[in-house]
Amino acid sequence: MSERQRYPAIDGLFTWQEDVNHLIGGKCESCGSFCFPKSSNVHKPGCRETQVNEVLLSRTGKLDSYTIQYYPPPAPFISPDPFEPYAIGLVSLPEGISVLGILSGSKPEDLKTGITVELLVDKLYENEKGDEVLGWKFKPI
Amino acid sequence: MREVAIIGVGMHPWGKFPDKTFVDMGVEAVNKAIDDATMQWKDIQSMVSGLWAWGGGNGFVAGQSLAAVMGETGIPITNVFNMCATATSVLRTAYQVVASGEQDICLAVGLDKSPKGFFSSLGRPDSTDTDYLRWKMLGLTNPGYWAMECRKRMEKYGTTERHLAKAKVACSKHAALNPDALYRKIFTEEEVLNSPMVCDPLRLYMICATRDGAAVAILCSAEKAKKYTSKPIKIAGVGLGSSLYGDPTMRLGWLSTISNGESPLLSESAMSARMAFNQASIGPEDVDFVELPDNSSWHYLQYLETIGFCKPGEAEQMLEAGETMLGGKLPVCPSGGASSSGEAVTAQGLAQVCELVWQLRGQAGERQVQNAKVGMAQTYGMLGNSAAVILKA
Repeated sequence: MSERQRYPAIDGLFTWQEDVNHLIGGKCESCGSFCFPKSSNVHKPGCRETQVNEVLLSRTGKLDSYTIQYYPPPAPFISPDPFEPYAIGLVSLPEGISVLGILSGSKPEDLKTGITVELLVDKLYENEKGDEVLGWKFKPI
Repeated sequence: MREVAIIGVGMHPWGKFPDKTFVDMGVEAVNKAIDDATMQWKDIQSMVSGLWAWGGGNGFVAGQSLAAVMGETGIPITNVFNMCATATSVLRTAYQVVASGEQDICLAVGLDKSPKGFFSSLGRPDSTDTDYLRWKMLGLTNPGYWAMECRKRMEKYGTTERHLAKAKVACSKHAALNPDALYRKIFTEEEVLNSPMVCDPLRLYMICATRDGAAVAILCSAEKAKKYTSKPIKIAGVGLGSSLYGDPTMRLGWLSTISNGESPLLSESAMSARMAFNQASIGPEDVDFVELPDNSSWHYLQYLETIGFCKPGEAEQMLEAGETMLGGKLPVCPSGGASSSGEAVTAQGLAQVCELVWQLRGQAGERQVQNAKVGMAQTYGMLGNSAAVILKA
């Protein structure tokens, strides 16, 4: 029987093998702009730099807003079976950017804006072989 | 740049047409516009068409696909794509073709066959495409983005669920007077509030559906317009906008935004509206009615402020005071809006233009805006696109 594997759904968006993991974002060393993911490559008008450097983003932030989705999204998203309504949040980080992430660790009805949340690398879904395919989420602390 | 007028418009009904291709619908709308302008296909000197994004090669050159049916005449054809702002962007490009003097007559086409239910990723799987990532990694739908902005608004200004319901009710009252609207039922606030929650806090009836449709406008130099119509409608201003750095909107299709930016929310829309006003040499106070992009009840409220019809935080009061109803200070979506007919993404802006033209000609029947002299239409599309147009009788 082959061993179950554990790996990110997409590489390069977050670290996942460390004790403490981070979202991998981008920072322009010239204009100071941050972005997530790194491939977004955002700069301020007038900046002559065209690339960003890889940075590990802060793990904790403030929940600025969220929604609860009541219907299973279409492919390519793979929902748990059976589907349960789930929350997605907008989290502001000390870097001055806000990032999106699935919210876990609390009932969606119990969420409130303004709470502090922390990054979590967690299972998005299991594939046919039983491998755990990972994504990033935030949970209240 | 010389003056340009709209001399004919035509629309294919909005709805679901599984047995019709995008070409079938487009051609029907083209023929209606040509008849409306009392001209013939051979009089069309140029064309700008929205491209149809959900198909393949033929959809990418939608204009050429229509010309094949109408009869190929070798005219210059431009295909344009700016997400949900496509059709209004088509109008701007067509306007430039005529205003520049390159051509006297240009056909502007918007058409769409939307996929059922939620939109999904447009392109092929690509880990550097944030629009793909938001689907793959989060399952975040378009209404999900709007719901997050809506929640922010509710906390900032005290917008309530009831305000969101009122926006839908307002559009439905206008739709009831529009024989061409898809849904003509007048909703009650209770019905909206009891509809299923889709993306909290947005319920089903607070979000527009997606539908198929096609809409066409024929543009002509103002000096030659009287040859085709006794009521040419002047294009007073067109605007096209993209996002400003520092816009805190969590933009549709992105995964991050500036947290506390100094640029306005929906900056691409603020830019396109301002540009149209500047060209027309008027301000929001001069507009008699508006077809704004009412994709959801949040949009209805937010756009009143973004365009500049009221100050930030005052949209709810405008709605509650009845100012956005027919007979009020600024009728909003007299057609019933996308709320009542569904959004046909790459056609929507030209459906708005059709409504503007009918209103300004005095042909809007029971939903006629009294003394309609100046009308405005605006659309906005994901990833930072917006276009606006101001027409005058």
